[in-house]
Amino acid sequence: MLARLDRRVLLRAALVFLIAVVGVTAVLAMGGSADAASSETAAAAASSSGTFDLFIQNLFNGVVFGLLLALASVGLSLIYGTTALSNFAHGEMVTFGAMLTYWLATPQPVRIPLIPVDFNIGLPLIPAALLAIAISAGLGWVQDRIIWSQLRRRRVAMVQQMIVSIGLSLALVNFIQWWMGGRPVRLTTAIDPRNDYGPISVSNTTLISMAIAIAALLGVAFFLQRTRLGRATRAVSDNPALASASGIKVDSIIRLVWIMAAGLAALGGILLALYQQGIGFDDGTKLLLMMFAAVTLGGLGHPYGALVGSLIIGIVAEVSTVWLAPDLKFATALGILILVLLVRPQGILGRAERVG
Amino acid sequence: MDILFDVLRTAIAPSTAAFALAAIGLNFHFGLTGLLNMGHAGFMLLGMYGFAISLQQGWPIWLAVIIGLLAAAIFAVLLGWPTLKLRGDYLAIVTIAAAEMVRLLGRSQSLKDLTGASSGIRGKDFKEPFETLSPFPDSIVTIGPFQMHGSRSSSWWLTVVTWVLVGIFALVFWRLANSPWGRVLKGIREDEDAVRSLGKNVYSYKMQALVIGGMIGALGGITWALGNSVQPDSMARPTTFWLWTLLLLGGAATVFGPVLGSILFWSALTLVKSLASAFIPDTVLSTTELEPFSLVLVGVTLMLLVIFRPQGVLGNKKELAF
Repeated sequence: MLARLDRRVLLRAALVFLIAVVGVTAVLAMGGSADAASSETAAAAASSSGTFDLFIQNLFNGVVFGLLLALASVGLSLIYGTTALSNFAHGEMVTFGAMLTYWLATPQPVRIPLIPVDFNIGLPLIPAALLAIAISAGLGWVQDRIIWSQLRRRRVAMVQQMIVSIGLSLALVNFIQWWMGGRPVRLTTAIDPRNDYGPISVSNTTLISMAIAIAALLGVAFFLQRTRLGRATRAVSDNPALASASGIKVDSIIRLVWIMAAGLAALGGILLALYQQGIGFDDGTKLLLMMFAAVTLGGLGHPYGALVGSLIIGIVAEVSTVWLAPDLKFATALGILILVLLVRPQGILGRAERVG
Repeated sequence: MDILFDVLRTAIAPSTAAFALAAIGLNFHFGLTGLLNMGHAGFMLLGMYGFAISLQQGWPIWLAVIIGLLAAAIFAVLLGWPTLKLRGDYLAIVTIAAAEMVRLLGRSQSLKDLTGASSGIRGKDFKEPFETLSPFPDSIVTIGPFQMHGSRSSSWWLTVVTWVLVGIFALVFWRLANSPWGRVLKGIREDEDAVRSLGKNVYSYKMQALVIGGMIGALGGITWALGNSVQPDSMARPTTFWLWTLLLLGGAATVFGPVLGSILFWSALTLVKSLASAFIPDTVLSTTELEPFSLVLVGVTLMLLVIFRPQGVLGNKKELAF
C-alpha cells in the first residue's frame, strides 16, 4: 500500500502537517489562556493519577464514542454505497431517534407542533426506545418512498439530490427545535453510578450501551456477509447495473438500506443521549461531519470502512483533549478528514480509483 | 400596512445587501465554475475576524479590509489545493468541514483574547472607524416611511455603502462572466475534460474562481459584521445553506440572481414571520416557535427549488452545473 504513495503526495502531506503544527502552535501561543485552559482541565483530572492514566481514560472514551459514531455512520456509508448519495440529513435521524425516545418516555406532558393538545405518554425507557427505533426505521422507509425513490426515478443529478438532502436536514433540525425546544433533554433521570476498573472509570449504562452497539454492529456484519439479502446489498453497492441485470431488485434493496440506516442512526442517537446524559436538538447535526470524516477515512461506501473510520475518529477526538482544549476536539477530527483526502482520498479500505 | 413596511425595510436592509454580496461570491463558485462550496459562511467569518481584529489593533480601516480579504484568499488556496482535483462532492464535504473548523477555532476558549471566544467581538469594539467616515448626521434620519440611524450600526450610511458594493460586484461579475476568462470557467462547469483537452490548466482556473469568490464572500462578511457584530455562531452551517437557497432562488449563473434572491429570501422570511405572528394564535404557534417554524419553511423551499425549478427565478436551465 505504502509503495504506491508517490513522492509528491508525501511532500504535500508533510507540508500540510507542518502548516497544521505551526497553526496549532500559533493558536496556543497567541491565546495565552490556551495553556491555562487545557492544562487546567488536564491538571484537575491528572492531579491524582497522571497523564498516562488520563490518556488511557480518554482512549477508552474514544472507543465508546467511536462505537456509537459507527452505528450512525454505517448507515450513511451503506446509503452512499448503494445510491452514491452523500446524505446530509443523516445527522437529524440520530437526533430524531433520541428525541422520540424522550417524547415517549418522559413523565412530563409533551406536545406535537401546531396541535395545542398535551399528551402524557410516559412509557418505560426500553419499550420507548424500541418503539422510537421502529418509528425511525419507518421514517427511513417513508423518506425513501416519498423523496429519494422519486428523485431516482426522475434521474435527478446526484449533486441536486445532495442539495435536496441539505434542505431536508435544515428542515428537520429546525422541526426538532420547534418540537422539543432549544434545551437539551435527558432520557432518564436515574442516577448512574460509576465504577473504576484500573485507570478507567465507567458507568454501567455506558457498558451496556457498548454491548448493545457491538451487538448491533456484529448483526449488520452478519447480515452483509451471511444472508442472501446482505449479499444482494453488497452486489448493488458494487455495481447497481450488473446487480439489476442478475435479477436483484435494486429498488427494494435500496429501500431496505434506508430502513436499516434510519434504524441504526436512531439506536446510535439513543445510546449517545444516554452516554452524554442528554441530547440537544442540534447534536446529530454536529455529529454529521464526524460521520463524514469517519466514512471518508474508512473509504466512502465501504461498510466496514465506516466502522474502522469511526473508531479512529472517536479515539483521536477524545485523546486529543489530553493536549488540546476540549472545545477543539471536533476541529481535530475535521483536520484529519482534510489530511486523509490529501493523502489517500479513497480511504483506508477503499479501492484506489480516479476520484477527480 | 405595518407588515408591508417591515417587509420593505428588510428588503433594503444592509444585511440583505451583505448576503447579496456573499451570494455573488458563491455565484463565482457555483454559478460560473460549478464548484460545490458548502462552507461559504467560513469565508464570511474569516473576513470579519480579519477586519475586526485588525481594527482592534488600531490599524487603519483600508488595511483592515485588505487583511480580511487576504485571510479569505489564503483560506481558499489552502482549501482548494488538495480538493480541486477531486470529485465535486469531496469539495462539498471538505469546505463544510473547514468552515466548521474556522467557527470552532473562533469560538474556542483557547483564542479568547483574540476572537472573544463564543461571545465574539462586540460591535462597539470595531465599528467606530467606519462610522466616523459617515457623511450622514449622527442621529435618527427619516426618509419616506423608513427610519434609521444616520451613521451608527445598521445605518443609512451602511445601507448606501453596501448597496453600492453590491452594484459594483454585480458589474464585475457581469464583465468577468463575459470575458474569455469567464468563458473558460463556464467550460469547466459544462465539461472539465473538454476544457483540459484544449490545453487549459483547469486546476488553476478553478483555484482563481475559488479565491475571487471567497474574497467577495469575505467582503459580504465584513459588511454584515458592520451592521451586527462578529459572532462565530451566526456564521454556522445554516448561513451557508441560506446563501445556497437564495442563490438558487434568484437564479445561479445570472448577474442579478444573487441580488434578487437575497431580497426575495429575507422579505419572504419577514413576511412569513409577521403574518404568522399576526394570524396564528399563540397557543398553536408561540413566538419562540416562529423562528424554527420559518426555518423549516426555508429548508422545504430549498428542497422544492432544487427539484422543480433549479434555475430559480431568473436563471436558464442550460446554465446550471447539475
